Amino acid sequence: MKKIFSIFAAFLFLTILLGERSWAKVYIDIRSPSFRKFPIAISPFKAPISPNQEIKLGERATDILNNDLSISGFFAVLDPKTFRENTVRAGAGGSASGTGPGLTTTGPEPMDFRSWANVGAEALVLGEVIYKDRSLTLEARLYDVVKKELIVGKRYIGEITDLSRMVHRFADEIVFALTGELGIFQTKIVYASKAPGDKELFLMDFDGRNVNQITRHQSICLSPRFSPDGKKIAFTSYKAGNPDLYLKDLRTGEERRVSQHPGLNISPAWSPDGHRLALTLSKDGNPDIYTMNSDGGGLIRLTNQPAIDVSPTWSPDGRKIAFTSNRGGNPQIYIMDSNGENVQRLTFEGNYNTHPAWSPRGDRIAFDALIGGNQNISTIRPDGSDFRILTANLDRCEAPSWSPDGRHLVFSSTRDGGPYIYLMDAEGTGIKRLTFQKGGDTYPNWSPRFKE
Amino acid sequence: MLKKSSIWLVVLISVVAIAFIATGCAKKQVVKEEAAAKPVVEVKKEEPAPEPPKVAEAPKEEPKPEPVKEAAPPPEPKKEEAPPPAPAKVEPLALVAMRIQFAFDDYNLSTKAKENLEKVASWMSKDPVVKIQIEGHTCEVGTNEYNLALGERRANSAKKYLEGMGVNPSRLSTISYGEERPLDPGHTEDARSKNRRDEFVQTK
Repeated sequence: MKKIFSIFAAFLFLTILLGERSWAKVYIDIRSPSFRKFPIAISPFKAPISPNQEIKLGERATDILNNDLSISGFFAVLDPKTFRENTVRAGAGGSASGTGPGLTTTGPEPMDFRSWANVGAEALVLGEVIYKDRSLTLEARLYDVVKKELIVGKRYIGEITDLSRMVHRFADEIVFALTGELGIFQTKIVYASKAPGDKELFLMDFDGRNVNQITRHQSICLSPRFSPDGKKIAFTSYKAGNPDLYLKDLRTGEERRVSQHPGLNISPAWSPDGHRLALTLSKDGNPDIYTMNSDGGGLIRLTNQPAIDVSPTWSPDGRKIAFTSNRGGNPQIYIMDSNGENVQRLTFEGNYNTHPAWSPRGDRIAFDALIGGNQNISTIRPDGSDFRILTANLDRCEAPSWSPDGRHLVFSSTRDGGPYIYLMDAEGTGIKRLTFQKGGDTYPNWSPRFKE
Repeated sequence: MLKKSSIWLVVLISVVAIAFIATGCAKKQVVKEEAAAKPVVEVKKEEPAPEPPKVAEAPKEEPKPEPVKEAAPPPEPKKEEAPPPAPAKVEPLALVAMRIQFAFDDYNLSTKAKENLEKVASWMSKDPVVKIQIEGHTCEVGTNEYNLALGERRANSAKKYLEGMGVNPSRLSTISYGEERPLDPGHTEDARSKNRRDEFVQTK
């Protein structure tokens, strides 16, 4: 258990800046609607000393970085086959000795940038992983191939289990250096899974690695939601026989039951400032939306209708709440002020729209739309315009949740049985399966960026 | 109505009896079916419900046209439970067979559902100690958060009806499981329609 929560301990490993240009240039203008994917080459990471032959540290680091940059959508990551000759020349093939320490702190050795430019790369990543005396060191550098200069270089020192975190961290450096925006590679996803038999909560890296079970209620755990600071998870569990609301502290592992009214205590949603939780209670005879402090006090009723009102989600400015209601005869998405006033219907397409999720950028609301017998992840603008269906032929897709940069969505789908958790970009392309345990994975919720 | 159902009961019981005798060998088959069905259903810890009827659910008289004929044999074993305790004054009710079904995204009670609820109410009136929990369930379609609310609506529909029949509310509790506890883990419309239901569990 301790191990699980040490994940959240501040980054223990040491980071050393190896040099960075002091002025910033935006290489990729990702705010432009039609930015060009930036061609980048990742030379296979060297790993002169591995703990054993089985653990191919260099390959793993290269894979993780390649996957991160590909998922981001900003990059065209070059196929290593196109630059095999370059890597041989650079001595990055993993040879144990001969090239010395490879990358040194003094900066880039003169290298043949032209050969990288010739294969179409505009940026190049070189890296090396060294495992020595039970200490893992990752050194990586990002170069501007055209200008023939170093953009950013870092050295991370930690334990062998830190490898993926180090790589994710450098991937964030790359994105920040080239786009000026914060990356998402150190984020996590929490979800509910029946893999253990009962439905428990699991935590994994955003790319599906490092899966950890975080509850052992031997019951039904549902609707996990990260607090805006990433330190807590609110969720519903039947542990005490009723669907009650719990808070779990991810650092200490401590759990507290914060709402245990008779009937439903479900579908929690944190206000953007982290002070309030919106949720659905049925204690007054009908499933309605309330807000409360995160300790369960200060309850305020927002809806009061003889209809089902569930699944609230806050706008990023905290002023509005979107939710599901069947007050019009079938479930649709509605928006109200966060004090319950000015309720307006948002969706009119189809007769079964549920589970809204407001993008952290504020510009779109994702939801489940039942269309032609299948559930599809869809998005719409908060003013009701520009309705788009993102998934098609993926069988039942449910429970969309946004990445903190608003550029990606995770959701569950029964496309391959399961259901399993999938990731895609906000336009509905680049669909990637993240979970593989048998049993059924649902309710993914994407963490915010963790503060260090 | 009542008369009709009691005739049905008699008929059922005699059918069961005959089937019981006639199925000496058929029984093996039943057992086999159960074994086959179990792994899929997943054994559930809760539900202190009577016996293992969970598996043999198919039999109940559904409002819909009965499905496959072969489905007939499995139901019998369940019914066996009812006859034996007959000597007792208040016959235990096979609550599992009282399960009621709903239409998609709906919590209105069908005629058949009301018939079952009337049986439950009359049983509860004869045995004033007994308490039950009504479990509301939904099919897998839709989001579970909405389905949790829908399941609660379904449980409340039954509760209100029972209260209307004179059952003291203190003897009735409700819980919604949404789509978390399907009766049939399949993904066909047939499976889904079975899953849109209320179940009754004796709590005292």
